[in-house]
Amino acid sequence: MEFDFSPVIEYFPTLVQGVGVTLLIGLAVAVMSIVGGQIVAVISLYTRRVVSWPLRFFIWLFMTTPLLLQLYFLYFGLGELILIPAIVVGILGLGFHYMAYNADIFVATIRSVSDGQYEASRSLGFGHIRTLIYIILPQAFYRALPQLSNNMIIMVKDISVLSAIGIGELVYVSQYAISVTFRPFEFYITIAVIYYLINLMMEAGQSWIERRAAYRR
Amino acid sequence: MTTSTDTPMVELKGVKKHFGDLEVLKGIDLRVDRGRIISIIGPSGSGKSTLLRSINHLEVIDGGNILLDGMPVNRPDLKGLAFERHINHIRQNMGMVFQHFNLFPHMSTLDNVTLAPRRLKRMQSTDARKLGMELLERVGLADKAKAYPSSLSGGQKQRVAIARALAMQPKVMLFDEATSALDPELVEEVNRVMKGLAEEHMTMLIVTHEMAFARDVSDWTMFMDEGVVVEANTPDRLFSDPDHERTRHFLRKHLGSQG
Repeated sequence: MEFDFSPVIEYFPTLVQGVGVTLLIGLAVAVMSIVGGQIVAVISLYTRRVVSWPLRFFIWLFMTTPLLLQLYFLYFGLGELILIPAIVVGILGLGFHYMAYNADIFVATIRSVSDGQYEASRSLGFGHIRTLIYIILPQAFYRALPQLSNNMIIMVKDISVLSAIGIGELVYVSQYAISVTFRPFEFYITIAVIYYLINLMMEAGQSWIERRAAYRR
Repeated sequence: MTTSTDTPMVELKGVKKHFGDLEVLKGIDLRVDRGRIISIIGPSGSGKSTLLRSINHLEVIDGGNILLDGMPVNRPDLKGLAFERHINHIRQNMGMVFQHFNLFPHMSTLDNVTLAPRRLKRMQSTDARKLGMELLERVGLADKAKAYPSSLSGGQKQRVAIARALAMQPKVMLFDEATSALDPELVEEVNRVMKGLAEEHMTMLIVTHEMAFARDVSDWTMFMDEGVVVEANTPDRLFSDPDHERTRHFLRKHLGSQG
Protein backbone atom coordinates (compact mmCIF):
# COMPACT_ATOMS: atom_id res chain seq x y z
CA MET A 1 0.00 0.00 0.00
CA GLU A 2 1.29 3.43 -0.90
CA PHE A 3 0.72 6.54 1.12
CA ASP A 4 -0.45 9.62 -0.71
CA PHE A 5 -0.73 12.74 1.38
CA SER A 6 -1.71 15.08 -1.43
CA PRO A 7 -5.47 14.86 -0.56
CA VAL A 8 -4.55 15.87 2.99
CA ILE A 9 -2.77 18.92 1.64
CA GLU A 10 -5.71 19.66 -0.58
CA TYR A 11 -8.11 19.48 2.34
CA PHE A 12 -5.77 21.13 4.82
CA PRO A 13 -7.84 24.34 5.05
CA THR A 14 -10.83 22.19 6.00
CA LEU A 15 -8.76 20.48 8.71
CA VAL A 16 -7.58 23.86 10.02
CA GLN A 17 -11.20 24.92 10.23
CA GLY A 18 -11.93 21.73 12.20
CA VAL A 19 -9.03 22.49 14.57
CA GLY A 20 -10.45 25.99 15.04
CA VAL A 21 -13.88 24.61 15.95
CA THR A 22 -12.30 22.06 18.32
CA LEU A 23 -10.25 24.73 20.08
CA LEU A 24 -13.18 27.15 20.35
CA ILE A 25 -15.41 24.45 21.83
CA GLY A 26 -12.54 23.46 24.13
CA LEU A 27 -12.17 27.01 25.40
CA ALA A 28 -15.91 27.45 25.95
CA VAL A 29 -16.18 24.11 27.76
CA ALA A 30 -13.09 24.84 29.87
CA VAL A 31 -14.49 28.19 31.05
CA MET A 32 -17.95 26.77 31.66
CA SER A 33 -16.77 23.65 33.48
CA ILE A 34 -14.19 25.43 35.66
CA VAL A 35 -16.36 28.38 36.67
CA GLY A 36 -19.44 26.15 36.97
CA GLY A 37 -17.46 23.50 38.82
CA GLN A 38 -16.47 26.01 41.50
CA ILE A 39 -20.03 27.24 41.87
CA VAL A 40 -21.39 23.70 42.12
CA ALA A 41 -18.70 22.81 44.68
CA VAL A 42 -19.45 25.87 46.83
CA ILE A 43 -23.20 25.26 46.71
CA SER A 44 -22.88 21.58 47.54
CA LEU A 45 -20.54 22.36 50.47
CA TYR A 46 -22.16 25.42 51.99
CA THR A 47 -25.91 25.36 51.41
CA ARG A 48 -28.82 23.55 52.96
CA ARG A 49 -29.71 20.06 51.82
CA VAL A 50 -32.74 21.20 49.82
CA VAL A 51 -30.31 22.99 47.53
CA SER A 52 -27.22 20.82 47.74
CA TRP A 53 -28.82 17.39 47.36
CA PRO A 54 -30.46 17.99 43.97
CA LEU A 55 -27.11 19.35 42.85
CA ARG A 56 -25.27 16.27 44.08
CA PHE A 57 -27.80 14.14 42.23
CA PHE A 58 -27.09 16.14 39.09
CA ILE A 59 -23.35 15.59 39.46
CA TRP A 60 -23.87 11.91 40.12
CA LEU A 61 -26.06 11.64 37.01
CA PHE A 62 -23.40 13.18 34.78
CA MET A 63 -20.61 11.10 36.28
CA THR A 64 -22.34 7.74 36.00
CA THR A 65 -23.66 7.89 32.43
CA PRO A 66 -21.69 7.93 29.16
CA LEU A 67 -20.99 11.25 27.52
CA LEU A 68 -22.37 10.03 24.20
CA LEU A 69 -25.67 9.11 25.84
CA GLN A 70 -25.85 12.54 27.48
CA LEU A 71 -25.28 14.21 24.12
CA TYR A 72 -27.94 12.08 22.40
CA PHE A 73 -30.32 12.82 25.24
CA LEU A 74 -29.74 16.59 25.02
CA TYR A 75 -29.75 16.72 21.22
CA PHE A 76 -32.39 14.20 20.14
CA GLY A 77 -34.35 13.95 23.40
CA LEU A 78 -34.65 17.58 24.36
CA GLY A 79 -34.55 18.43 20.64
CA GLU A 80 -38.09 17.05 20.49
CA LEU A 81 -39.20 19.83 22.82
CA ILE A 82 -37.02 22.75 21.83
CA LEU A 83 -34.71 23.20 18.92
CA ILE A 84 -31.18 23.90 20.15
CA PRO A 85 -28.30 24.34 17.68
CA ALA A 86 -25.95 21.35 17.74
CA ILE A 87 -22.95 23.44 18.75
CA VAL A 88 -24.82 24.76 21.80
CA VAL A 89 -25.87 21.23 22.75
CA GLY A 90 -22.28 20.11 22.30
CA ILE A 91 -20.85 22.83 24.53
CA LEU A 92 -23.56 22.40 27.17
CA GLY A 93 -23.25 18.61 27.13
CA LEU A 94 -19.48 18.55 27.46
CA GLY A 95 -19.64 21.55 29.81
CA PHE A 96 -22.00 19.83 32.26
CA HIS A 97 -20.09 16.58 32.00
CA TYR A 98 -16.77 18.17 32.94
CA MET A 99 -18.40 20.58 35.37
CA ALA A 100 -19.36 17.50 37.38
CA TYR A 101 -15.79 16.17 37.35
CA ASN A 102 -14.29 19.57 38.15
CA ALA A 103 -16.80 20.16 40.96
CA ASP A 104 -15.60 16.92 42.53
CA ILE A 105 -12.01 18.19 42.49
CA PHE A 106 -12.99 21.58 43.93
CA VAL A 107 -14.98 19.98 46.75
CA ALA A 108 -11.83 18.11 47.77
CA THR A 109 -9.46 21.08 47.46
CA ILE A 110 -11.82 23.49 49.24
CA ARG A 111 -11.98 21.01 52.12
CA SER A 112 -8.19 20.75 52.11
CA VAL A 113 -7.71 24.46 52.91
CA SER A 114 -7.06 24.51 56.66
CA ASP A 115 -9.52 25.90 59.20
CA GLY A 116 -6.75 28.24 60.27
CA GLN A 117 -7.07 30.11 56.98
CA TYR A 118 -10.78 30.56 57.55
CA GLU A 119 -10.23 31.71 61.13
CA ALA A 120 -7.46 34.13 60.19
CA SER A 121 -9.70 35.78 57.62
CA ARG A 122 -12.70 35.92 59.94
CA SER A 123 -10.56 37.34 62.74
CA LEU A 124 -9.59 40.22 60.44
CA GLY A 125 -13.28 41.03 60.10
CA PHE A 126 -14.14 39.38 56.77
CA GLY A 127 -17.53 37.72 56.52
CA HIS A 128 -18.14 34.16 55.39
CA ILE A 129 -18.65 34.99 51.71
CA ARG A 130 -15.71 37.37 51.39
CA THR A 131 -13.53 34.79 53.16
CA LEU A 132 -14.56 32.27 50.52
CA ILE A 133 -13.86 34.68 47.68
CA TYR A 134 -10.55 36.15 48.84
CA ILE A 135 -9.04 33.31 50.84
CA ILE A 136 -10.53 29.86 50.39
CA LEU A 137 -11.40 29.66 46.68
CA PRO A 138 -8.12 31.03 45.31
CA GLN A 139 -6.16 28.51 47.38
CA ALA A 140 -8.52 25.71 46.41
CA PHE A 141 -8.08 26.74 42.78
CA TYR A 142 -4.28 26.61 42.91
CA ARG A 143 -4.43 23.23 44.57
CA ALA A 144 -6.88 21.96 41.94
CA LEU A 145 -4.68 22.97 39.00
CA PRO A 146 -2.86 19.67 38.36
CA GLN A 147 -6.04 17.60 38.28
CA LEU A 148 -7.96 20.36 36.55
CA SER A 149 -5.52 20.55 33.67
CA ASN A 150 -5.54 16.75 33.36
CA ASN A 151 -9.30 16.90 33.03
CA MET A 152 -9.04 19.60 30.40
CA ILE A 153 -6.55 17.55 28.38
CA ILE A 154 -8.95 14.59 28.42
CA MET A 155 -11.82 16.93 27.57
CA VAL A 156 -10.18 18.20 24.40
CA LYS A 157 -9.96 14.62 23.13
CA ASP A 158 -13.61 14.06 24.06
CA ILE A 159 -14.64 16.89 21.76
CA SER A 160 -14.32 14.32 18.96
CA VAL A 161 -17.44 12.63 20.38
CA LEU A 162 -19.40 15.70 19.23
CA SER A 163 -18.96 14.50 15.65
CA ALA A 164 -21.82 12.09 16.51
CA ILE A 165 -24.26 15.01 16.55
CA GLY A 166 -22.82 16.61 13.43
CA ILE A 167 -20.57 19.32 14.84
CA GLY A 168 -17.80 20.30 12.41
CA GLU A 169 -14.86 19.68 14.72
CA LEU A 170 -11.63 18.02 13.67
CA VAL A 171 -12.77 14.39 13.47
CA TYR A 172 -16.03 15.32 11.75
CA VAL A 173 -14.38 17.35 8.99
CA SER A 174 -11.80 14.64 8.38
CA GLN A 175 -14.58 12.04 8.08
CA TYR A 176 -16.03 14.25 5.40
CA ALA A 177 -12.69 14.59 3.63
CA ILE A 178 -12.18 10.82 3.78
CA SER A 179 -15.61 10.18 2.29
CA VAL A 180 -14.60 12.30 -0.69
CA THR A 181 -10.97 11.25 -1.14
CA PHE A 182 -11.01 7.61 0.14
CA ARG A 183 -7.68 8.12 1.94
CA PRO A 184 -8.59 7.21 5.56
CA PHE A 185 -5.06 6.28 6.68
CA GLU A 186 -3.47 9.52 5.65
CA PHE A 187 -6.18 11.60 7.29
CA TYR A 188 -6.27 9.57 10.51
CA ILE A 189 -2.50 9.80 10.81
CA THR A 190 -2.66 13.54 10.22
CA ILE A 191 -5.34 14.24 12.80
CA ALA A 192 -3.57 11.96 15.29
CA VAL A 193 -0.50 14.16 14.86
CA ILE A 194 -2.63 17.29 15.22
CA TYR A 195 -4.13 15.96 18.49
CA TYR A 196 -0.66 15.08 19.68
CA LEU A 197 0.50 18.65 19.00
CA ILE A 198 -2.53 20.15 20.76
CA ASN A 199 -1.75 17.93 23.73
CA LEU A 200 1.87 18.94 23.69
CA MET A 201 0.84 22.60 23.81
CA MET A 202 -1.60 21.98 26.64
CA GLU A 203 1.00 20.10 28.66
CA ALA A 204 3.44 22.97 28.20
CA GLY A 205 0.73 25.37 29.34
CA GLN A 206 -0.05 23.12 32.29
CA SER A 207 3.53 23.02 33.54
CA TRP A 208 3.88 26.79 33.03
CA ILE A 209 0.77 27.45 35.12
CA GLU A 210 1.85 24.96 37.77
CA ARG A 211 5.30 26.48 38.06
CA ARG A 212 3.71 29.86 38.63
CA ALA A 213 1.23 28.45 41.14
CA ALA A 214 3.62 26.23 43.09
CA TYR A 215 4.88 28.81 45.57
CA ARG A 216 1.36 30.07 46.24
CA ARG A 217 0.17 26.80 47.71
CA MET B 1 -18.80 53.25 70.47
CA THR B 2 -17.81 54.07 74.04
CA THR B 3 -14.48 55.78 74.40
CA SER B 4 -14.54 56.81 78.04
CA THR B 5 -11.12 56.08 79.48
CA ASP B 6 -12.42 54.18 82.48
CA THR B 7 -14.30 51.67 80.33
CA PRO B 8 -12.14 48.56 80.33
CA MET B 9 -10.85 47.64 76.86
CA VAL B 10 -11.79 44.02 77.39
CA GLU B 11 -14.06 42.74 80.08
CA LEU B 12 -15.16 39.17 80.76
CA LYS B 13 -17.92 38.37 83.21
CA GLY B 14 -18.60 34.79 84.21
CA VAL B 15 -17.58 33.35 80.85
CA LYS B 16 -18.49 29.69 80.45
CA LYS B 17 -17.75 27.28 77.67
CA HIS B 18 -18.05 23.54 77.29
CA PHE B 19 -17.21 21.08 74.56
CA GLY B 20 -19.73 18.28 74.98
CA ASP B 21 -19.45 17.11 78.59
CA LEU B 22 -16.13 18.82 79.10
CA GLU B 23 -16.31 22.18 80.84
CA VAL B 24 -13.43 24.20 79.44
CA LEU B 25 -14.20 27.57 80.99
CA LYS B 26 -15.96 27.59 84.34
CA GLY B 27 -16.96 31.19 84.79
CA ILE B 28 -14.02 33.45 83.98
CA ASP B 29 -13.87 37.11 85.04
CA LEU B 30 -11.25 39.42 83.64
CA ARG B 31 -10.78 43.13 83.23
CA VAL B 32 -8.17 44.53 80.88
CA ASP B 33 -7.70 48.28 81.02
CA ARG B 34 -6.47 50.38 78.12
CA GLY B 35 -2.77 49.95 77.42
CA ARG B 36 -2.38 47.02 79.81
CA ILE B 37 -0.64 43.80 78.98
CA ILE B 38 -2.06 40.63 80.44
CA SER B 39 -0.35 37.29 80.07
CA ILE B 40 -2.22 34.05 80.57
CA ILE B 41 -0.24 30.98 81.52
CA GLY B 42 -1.22 27.47 82.43
CA PRO B 43 -0.87 23.82 81.41
CA SER B 44 -2.18 22.48 78.10
CA GLY B 45 -5.92 22.01 78.24
CA SER B 46 -6.33 24.62 80.96
CA GLY B 47 -8.67 26.63 78.72
CA LYS B 48 -6.37 29.60 78.08
CA SER B 49 -6.49 29.33 74.30
CA THR B 50 -10.23 28.77 74.35
CA LEU B 51 -10.57 31.91 76.46
CA LEU B 52 -8.64 33.98 73.95
CA ARG B 53 -10.54 32.51 71.00
CA SER B 54 -13.82 33.25 72.75
CA ILE B 55 -12.94 36.93 72.93
CA ASN B 56 -12.64 36.87 69.13
CA HIS B 57 -15.81 34.78 68.90
CA LEU B 58 -13.91 31.96 67.20
CA GLU B 59 -15.42 29.96 70.02
CA VAL B 60 -19.01 30.69 70.94
CA ILE B 61 -19.42 30.93 74.70
CA ASP B 62 -22.28 29.25 76.54
CA GLY B 63 -22.64 31.73 79.36
CA GLY B 64 -21.45 35.07 80.67
CA ASN B 65 -20.51 38.23 78.82
CA ILE B 66 -17.55 39.52 76.87
CA LEU B 67 -17.25 43.24 76.25
CA LEU B 68 -14.84 45.00 73.92
CA ASP B 69 -14.54 48.65 74.86
CA GLY B 70 -18.02 48.45 76.33
CA MET B 71 -19.55 46.68 73.31
CA PRO B 72 -20.88 43.16 73.82
CA VAL B 73 -19.15 40.59 71.61
CA ASN B 74 -21.92 38.04 71.95
CA ARG B 75 -25.29 39.22 70.78
CA PRO B 76 -27.79 36.35 71.03
CA ASP B 77 -30.51 38.83 70.03
CA LEU B 78 -28.96 39.29 66.57
CA LYS B 79 -29.51 36.62 63.93
CA GLY B 80 -28.05 35.83 60.54
CA LEU B 81 -26.68 38.75 58.57
CA ALA B 82 -27.27 41.26 61.36
CA PHE B 83 -24.99 39.20 63.60
CA GLU B 84 -22.43 38.81 60.79
CA ARG B 85 -22.23 42.57 60.45
CA HIS B 86 -21.93 42.99 64.19
CA ILE B 87 -19.19 40.41 64.67
CA ASN B 88 -17.21 41.60 61.63
CA HIS B 89 -17.24 45.08 63.13
CA ILE B 90 -16.11 43.77 66.52
CA ARG B 91 -13.35 41.68 64.98
CA GLN B 92 -12.03 44.64 62.98
CA ASN B 93 -11.16 46.18 66.34
CA MET B 94 -9.17 43.17 67.52
CA GLY B 95 -5.97 41.81 66.11
CA MET B 96 -5.46 38.09 66.49
CA VAL B 97 -2.16 36.26 66.13
CA PHE B 98 -2.23 32.48 65.85
CA GLN B 99 0.20 29.78 66.87
CA HIS B 100 0.47 28.54 63.27
CA PHE B 101 0.64 32.03 61.72
CA ASN B 102 -2.11 31.31 59.16
CA LEU B 103 -0.67 33.66 56.59
CA PHE B 104 -2.47 33.56 53.25
CA PRO B 105 -0.09 31.54 51.07
CA HIS B 106 -1.47 32.79 47.77
CA MET B 107 -0.57 36.42 48.49
CA SER B 108 2.70 38.30 48.89
CA THR B 109 3.52 39.43 52.42
CA LEU B 110 2.54 42.99 51.51
CA ASP B 111 -0.84 41.80 50.20
CA ASN B 112 -1.31 39.75 53.36
CA VAL B 113 -0.89 42.92 55.39
CA THR B 114 -2.97 45.23 53.18
CA LEU B 115 -5.86 42.89 52.30
CA ALA B 116 -8.06 43.90 55.21
CA PRO B 117 -7.58 47.69 54.96
CA ARG B 118 -8.07 47.55 51.18
CA ARG B 119 -11.18 45.41 51.25
CA LEU B 120 -12.76 46.33 54.55
CA LYS B 121 -11.84 50.01 54.88
CA ARG B 122 -11.76 50.58 51.11
CA MET B 123 -8.36 52.17 51.49
CA GLN B 124 -6.80 53.40 48.22
CA SER B 125 -4.09 51.04 47.03
CA THR B 126 -1.33 53.67 47.31
CA ASP B 127 -2.35 54.44 50.91
CA ALA B 128 -2.65 50.75 51.70
CA ARG B 129 0.77 50.13 50.22
CA LYS B 130 2.25 52.91 52.34
CA LEU B 131 0.61 51.54 55.47
CA GLY B 132 1.68 48.00 54.60
CA MET B 133 5.29 49.04 54.06
CA GLU B 134 5.31 50.97 57.36
CA LEU B 135 4.03 47.92 59.20
CA LEU B 136 6.49 45.57 57.50
CA GLU B 137 9.22 48.06 58.39
CA ARG B 138 8.07 47.97 61.99
CA VAL B 139 8.43 44.19 62.15
CA GLY B 140 11.73 44.41 60.27
CA LEU B 141 10.57 42.79 57.03
CA ALA B 142 10.22 45.63 54.53
CA ASP B 143 12.67 43.82 52.25
CA LYS B 144 10.30 40.82 52.11
CA ALA B 145 7.28 42.80 50.84
CA LYS B 146 7.15 40.93 47.55
CA ALA B 147 8.04 37.52 48.97
CA TYR B 148 5.45 34.79 49.38
CA PRO B 149 4.92 33.18 52.79
CA SER B 150 6.35 29.85 51.61
CA SER B 151 9.77 31.47 51.31
CA LEU B 152 9.79 32.87 54.87
CA SER B 153 11.06 31.32 58.10
CA GLY B 154 8.61 30.68 60.93
CA GLY B 155 9.75 33.76 62.82
CA GLN B 156 9.36 35.92 59.74
CA LYS B 157 5.91 34.48 59.08
CA GLN B 158 4.78 35.32 62.57
CA ARG B 159 6.13 38.86 62.29
CA VAL B 160 4.16 39.32 59.06
CA ALA B 161 1.10 37.91 60.83
CA ILE B 162 1.53 40.53 63.55
CA ALA B 163 1.83 43.27 60.91
CA ARG B 164 -1.32 41.92 59.25
CA ALA B 165 -3.22 42.03 62.54
CA LEU B 166 -2.01 45.59 63.17
CA ALA B 167 -3.14 46.81 59.76
CA MET B 168 -6.71 47.35 60.92
CA GLN B 169 -5.44 49.50 63.79
CA PRO B 170 -7.01 47.28 66.43
CA LYS B 171 -7.79 48.39 69.96
CA VAL B 172 -6.45 45.18 71.40
CA MET B 173 -4.09 42.45 70.23
CA LEU B 174 -4.69 38.82 71.10
CA PHE B 175 -1.70 36.47 70.92
CA ASP B 176 -2.52 32.77 70.98
CA GLU B 177 0.80 31.02 71.73
CA ALA B 178 2.48 33.12 69.09
CA THR B 179 5.89 31.53 69.60
CA SER B 180 4.97 27.93 70.46
CA ALA B 181 5.42 26.62 66.93
CA LEU B 182 8.79 28.30 66.42
CA ASP B 183 12.28 26.91 66.62
CA PRO B 184 13.90 28.24 69.80
CA GLU B 185 16.32 30.48 67.91
CA LEU B 186 13.40 32.23 66.16
CA VAL B 187 11.40 33.01 69.30
CA GLU B 188 13.42 36.08 70.18
CA GLU B 189 12.69 38.02 66.97
CA VAL B 190 8.94 37.63 67.53
CA ASN B 191 9.25 38.52 71.20
CA ARG B 192 11.13 41.66 70.24
CA VAL B 193 8.24 42.78 68.01
CA MET B 194 5.77 42.10 70.79
CA LYS B 195 7.90 44.06 73.24
CA GLY B 196 7.92 46.94 70.78
CA LEU B 197 4.12 46.93 70.83
CA ALA B 198 4.16 46.86 74.61
CA GLU B 199 6.35 49.94 74.67
CA GLU B 200 3.79 51.71 72.47
CA HIS B 201 1.12 50.85 75.05
CA MET B 202 -0.88 48.53 72.86
CA THR B 203 -3.46 46.67 74.92
CA MET B 204 -2.47 43.02 74.71
CA LEU B 205 -3.66 39.64 75.88
CA ILE B 206 -0.93 37.06 75.57
CA VAL B 207 -1.41 33.33 75.96
CA THR B 208 2.07 31.90 76.24
CA HIS B 209 4.35 29.12 77.35
CA GLU B 210 7.30 31.50 77.59
CA MET B 211 7.45 32.20 81.31
CA ALA B 212 10.43 34.54 81.12
CA PHE B 213 8.73 36.58 78.42
CA ALA B 214 5.44 36.73 80.32
CA ARG B 215 7.28 37.92 83.40
CA ASP B 216 9.25 40.47 81.46
CA VAL B 217 6.54 42.04 79.33
CA SER B 218 3.24 41.87 81.17
CA ASP B 219 1.60 44.06 83.82
CA TRP B 220 -0.57 41.27 85.10
CA THR B 221 -0.36 37.50 84.88
CA MET B 222 -3.16 35.00 85.15
CA PHE B 223 -2.54 31.37 85.93
CA MET B 224 -5.31 29.12 84.59
CA ASP B 225 -5.90 25.46 85.26
CA GLU B 226 -8.88 23.22 84.46
CA GLY B 227 -11.07 26.08 83.27
CA VAL B 228 -10.62 28.42 86.22
CA VAL B 229 -8.30 31.31 87.04
CA VAL B 230 -6.32 29.84 89.90
CA GLU B 231 -4.63 33.10 90.66
CA ALA B 232 -3.81 36.41 89.05
CA ASN B 233 -1.21 38.89 90.19
CA THR B 234 1.63 41.11 89.08
CA PRO B 235 4.16 38.91 87.32
CA ASP B 236 6.84 39.59 89.94
CA ARG B 237 4.58 38.37 92.69
CA LEU B 238 3.06 35.47 90.76
CA PHE B 239 6.36 34.08 89.54
CA SER B 240 8.35 34.57 92.75
CA ASP B 241 5.76 33.99 95.43
CA PRO B 242 2.56 32.37 94.18
CA ASP B 243 -0.30 31.85 96.64
CA HIS B 244 -1.44 28.48 95.37
CA GLU B 245 0.19 25.09 95.37
CA ARG B 246 -1.06 24.40 91.80
CA THR B 247 0.69 27.54 90.56
CA ARG B 248 3.89 26.60 92.41
CA HIS B 249 3.78 23.11 90.97
CA PHE B 250 3.26 24.44 87.42
CA LEU B 251 6.02 27.03 87.73
CA ARG B 252 8.47 24.50 89.19
CA LYS B 253 7.95 22.32 86.13
CA HIS B 254 8.27 25.16 83.62
CA LEU B 255 10.85 27.41 85.17
CA GLY B 256 12.92 24.37 86.02
CA SER B 257 13.29 23.47 82.35
CA GLN B 258 13.88 27.06 81.27
CA GLY B 259 16.42 27.91 83.96
